[in-house]
Amino acid sequence: MTTLTLARPRTRPLISWRVRKLLIGYSYLVPAAFCLLATVVVPIILAIRMSLYADVLYKPQDYRFIGLGNYLRLIEDPVFWLSLRNSVVWVFGSVILQFVFGFAAALLLQQAFRGRALVRTLTLLPWIIPGVVVGLIWEWLYQPNYGVINDLLIRLGLMSERIAWLSSPDLAMAAVVFTNVWRGIPFFAIMLLAGLQAVPDELYEAAHVDGAGVFSRFWHITLPLLRPIIVVATATRIIWTFNYADLIFVMTGGGPANATQITSSYTLLQAYSSLDFGYAAALSVVLLVVMLAFTWAYLRVTKGVEETE
Amino acid sequence: MKRRARKDIAERLLAGPVVWIGLVLLTAFALGPFIWMLLTSLKDRQELYATPLQYLPVHPTFQNYVEAWTSPVTPFSRFFLNSLWVCSVTMVATTVVSVLAGYAIARFRFAGRDALLLIFLATQMFPSVLLIAPLLTQWRALGLIDTYQALIYSNFSFTVPFTVWMMVGYFSSIPRDLEESAMIDGCNHFGALCRIVLPLAAPGIAATAIFAFVVSWSELLFAISFTTETSMRTLSAGLLYMVGQYEVQWGQLSAGVILSTVPVAVLFTFLQRHLIHGLTAGAVKG
Repeated sequence: MTTLTLARPRTRPLISWRVRKLLIGYSYLVPAAFCLLATVVVPIILAIRMSLYADVLYKPQDYRFIGLGNYLRLIEDPVFWLSLRNSVVWVFGSVILQFVFGFAAALLLQQAFRGRALVRTLTLLPWIIPGVVVGLIWEWLYQPNYGVINDLLIRLGLMSERIAWLSSPDLAMAAVVFTNVWRGIPFFAIMLLAGLQAVPDELYEAAHVDGAGVFSRFWHITLPLLRPIIVVATATRIIWTFNYADLIFVMTGGGPANATQITSSYTLLQAYSSLDFGYAAALSVVLLVVMLAFTWAYLRVTKGVEETE
Repeated sequence: MKRRARKDIAERLLAGPVVWIGLVLLTAFALGPFIWMLLTSLKDRQELYATPLQYLPVHPTFQNYVEAWTSPVTPFSRFFLNSLWVCSVTMVATTVVSVLAGYAIARFRFAGRDALLLIFLATQMFPSVLLIAPLLTQWRALGLIDTYQALIYSNFSFTVPFTVWMMVGYFSSIPRDLEESAMIDGCNHFGALCRIVLPLAAPGIAATAIFAFVVSWSELLFAISFTTETSMRTLSAGLLYMVGQYEVQWGQLSAGVILSTVPVAVLFTFLQRHLIHGLTAGAVKG
């Protein structure tokens, strides 16, 4: 005789499967949401609030609500306006040169040659090392008496006397921008190389057969196909460079006479050296607004790009 | 057979000499500064400040490394270990957090999913100088100044948003069928995640972890703002502190620079492919 087992209806779970799945999903998100809340969202709200107060760390007796006082002070602060101008030079100088040289590097690294993997890794190094390290390396290279840059230029006969690159008001900005270019070339090289590798070879071959030369192939195939990645890479780099204060803070501290003071390094100095949190917060809110406006414009432009393709 | 077009002169030039000259220049430009720093670190004081400039160390010495490592005023070994600890903990915590969140976003449909993704993206655009004053106030109130926790928590502000995006990308590229069949076979969600998805996503997770480590290794602003004691400084903050001490000791400093570069360079070499894939995936698709 065989025993028959009857299929018994499964006991109904306390919470339905769908709800349970949703709860599991949310529970996975809790740690990330908490991190973001505690280290980004709440601090930003605090910063906005802080910008409405006279809040200097070592003057607690003066702590009070001053409304838009910090913002009014900012409008009348010539260094703030200078820093905005410097930021434009810093951002566009850096990003344009990084893009041009990064593109050239990507085209070179795409070629087939022996030891390509090694060369790729080595040329990416400037990008991954800490900003302080970049700043210190170049401070030593630029050093007026013992720096190799002055020495090489003099030996090559391009210069007759030593230049104090980082303490000359006319040259300091160019010197820090050049350093930032050195650091940022690999970023564009990586992004554009990834884009280049995604272009199907058949396209080039077909154009080749049709008699298109190297330059016309570059202009009519490579550039248009790479356009989306160029837009994304450039925009993220602009934002990143605008916010980036480490390099200037290490190399010049914004000097000489604020010649290299960009808005983010000025904000940093207000918070870190002057301990004027109210004013620093107002400055950083302005930074934030500029970035949001840029991001908004960027999203509109990229949307346009996607729609036309 | 395809008809082969004749190569024009421009093309032949570009493929030959131009590429080679370009590659040599590129490599020299990228590596030159490192090589100069390495040479500097191997020179003794006399060679370092010789006029005219002496390019190669005639009597190479590791004295600078020993001095930097053991200096009582600027204890580089301590800075190094501080960084190692802060970055390792940041790396592990960030990876766990972003694996969970990335998996949830890639797999579950829930209200506010797109908004959440957008917030993760937007926070990457915030300047970190914005966070210094409020975070400092927050850590002071909690009594966390001069602690590793303050640095580790602060690091989450820039590691987590990016790594979550990276993980969403990786998980989306793994087919759902595998976990679904595992779940039919009696695995629960968490079991399926651990046994099926994680092994498949391992390269992506490794890349995410390395990324978190490398970016925290570079962190400077939080490290100088939230620590006051010399013994709590990380590498970046410590190197800056070495500059601030009396006259700049370029010998020791160059040794410090080389020592700070090596760990990230090694990590990067190991996982370069996966890391680059993760960093560029979104952009190439987009």
